[in-house]
Amino acid sequence: MSAETRPGTPVRPADTRGSASGRGLSRLDRDLRNALVLFAVSIVLIFASRGLGPGFGSLAQIKAILLISSFVMVVAFGQQMVVLIGGLDLSVASMMTLGGILAFNWIGDSSAALVWGVPAILLVTAAIGACSGIGISLLGVPPFIMTLAMGIMLYGATLGFTQGTPTGAASPMLSALFAPTAIGVPMLYLMVLFTLAGWFVQTRTAFGRRLYALGINPTAAYVAGLPVRRLTIATYAISGASAGLGGILLVGYVSGVTLMMGQSYLLPSVAAVVIGGTSIVGGRGIYPGAVAGAILLTTLSTIVSSLGIPEGWRTIIYGAVIFVALVLLRDDLQHLLGRRRRKPGKD
Amino acid sequence: MSVEAVNPRAGAMLRPEPWYRRMLGDGTTVIVAILVVLLVVFAATQSDALTQSVLTDILNNSLPLALAAAGGTLVVLTRGFDLSVAGVVSLTNVLVAVHAGDGPLGALQGLAVAVAVGALVGAVNGVLVAYWNLQSIALTLASMIVCSGAALLVLDAPGGNVSDFMVYDLTDRIAGTVPVALAVGVGVYAVWFLLRRTDWGIRLYAVGADETAAVLAGIPVRRTKVIAYVLAGICYGLAGFMLTALTATGTPNVGDPYLLLVFAAIALGGTSFAGGRGGVAGSMLGALTLTLLQKVLFSTGVSSFYTGIFQGAVMVLAVVIAAISARFSSQGEARS
Repeated sequence: MSAETRPGTPVRPADTRGSASGRGLSRLDRDLRNALVLFAVSIVLIFASRGLGPGFGSLAQIKAILLISSFVMVVAFGQQMVVLIGGLDLSVASMMTLGGILAFNWIGDSSAALVWGVPAILLVTAAIGACSGIGISLLGVPPFIMTLAMGIMLYGATLGFTQGTPTGAASPMLSALFAPTAIGVPMLYLMVLFTLAGWFVQTRTAFGRRLYALGINPTAAYVAGLPVRRLTIATYAISGASAGLGGILLVGYVSGVTLMMGQSYLLPSVAAVVIGGTSIVGGRGIYPGAVAGAILLTTLSTIVSSLGIPEGWRTIIYGAVIFVALVLLRDDLQHLLGRRRRKPGKD
Repeated sequence: MSVEAVNPRAGAMLRPEPWYRRMLGDGTTVIVAILVVLLVVFAATQSDALTQSVLTDILNNSLPLALAAAGGTLVVLTRGFDLSVAGVVSLTNVLVAVHAGDGPLGALQGLAVAVAVGALVGAVNGVLVAYWNLQSIALTLASMIVCSGAALLVLDAPGGNVSDFMVYDLTDRIAGTVPVALAVGVGVYAVWFLLRRTDWGIRLYAVGADETAAVLAGIPVRRTKVIAYVLAGICYGLAGFMLTALTATGTPNVGDPYLLLVFAAIALGGTSFAGGRGGVAGSMLGALTLTLLQKVLFSTGVSSFYTGIFQGAVMVLAVVIAAISARFSSQGEARS
């Protein structure tokens, strides 16, 4: 039975084959293939939507889709890192709101304040994320509960400190990231850079590789001498920082802030990670997959909502896509598709 | 091989532990202690705290969450997560608001619809998790989203028509003494009390504690899981039904807060998210605690803005206390 492998239980055969016998590369190939398929599906969807109405499949629409998906994409980076080690970060919504409120309040409409403001905000959100990590790794609180409680506390704190109405202004420099210039929209370049950087960190640095090891088998990682606690704390700090960054960027895009602004990004951040081929029990998945997942979800909801379909059906389609992705990513189906993979034994 | 061989509690049953170890090792003790403290503070800060009407009000307000948390607990005991609760509560809420008729018979009809829909969603979740090996968090995330979409199709704005019987009689006291909410809560617990003594109940704990061992012991793991998800869905449907009576209206996104609150209640109640340990009573008391906490914060004059900070802190505290106290009991050491 491999339904719910959690840290502490023996790993599935697929995982051990992937890591122990030097087949790591082929596993990455599979993840990359999934990511590319998702990108392709997004492109096909966009082109298929041509002719549905004016503006469908236009360059402007593609740009808009990419810009809207950038927030999910940034938040999903941290979420994915946490999922890679077998955790889950439910505090990203409140963390994103906090990042946005701080950007609104500390940076305001000053461009000079960006220089210290952005690093300061990222530091604050990383520190709060690290607190979750400490609770999880030192106190042994389950990630689900720790980040849920942290999210609830953060929401209460931001509500209390702002007394319900955040004050400040949106920085024009942040807004400029989303405005078209002679060479294109700056944010689009940042997205590409961010994707490559995230991918690099995961697959080409010791830190990244250790996260996979930790996710595949925490006990083995500990026995192998990995600093499991420090890795866990650092991962949740990264998740906090990337959710904070998502909040800062969102302030630039919408030029305003609300106390609920992060709420609508919690589930999409998990969904993008899941659709992108990341195993929710950890140890498998790469960032380009999550980026592709974010773009696919945004593409789909953009097209569907511009068709004038009632919101109920839009939501159902959204859920159905996650479901289809899950079924297609099933281990045994992947094994059937993969070369030289035998079917998993009866379970 | 007998079922007891894989039941971690079996050893403890054969050799009774000292009462203090049993008390400390049981997650429910922590939640009862917190509840008592909150009640004392509440009684001290609000003069009418212990009157029948205030207590009935608190029970009414916490019942839907308690029912939903009871359902969620069954899935958590199998080491799964069921996020579909938010969608099912919303969906059954609007369905009951639209389809329930007048009087007790009409309410019964609404109840039937709610329970049937909950059971259906639970069955789909359970079959896909148990037989298709889909990851429960991811799958139930999808089914939650689909259910909230369906809720929007039934009612795209708050509305519906809830009968007087549901609004007044179901939130009242039976014969002027026992609150209906208490009766329903105790009734659901009684069912659980009996169920956990059946083969299925024992298997549920075995599956959550060690699935591989359960398979080797010949336990029908998949069927056990499916039943857990179906019963959970039925509880969510009940929660949606009672919520409709409480709010007297159908609101398509009314279940959204339940996504997080249910897990908060389960954590408070001392059910282990690693599966196999805990129970429904703790979760229901956890739901009561969350509701009472809000009342206490209000009565002690804490700004409602800060409610969240306290809720989160109590959650972490409860889990940490439960973990520490579990170390005192041998049962806790064995499971660690």
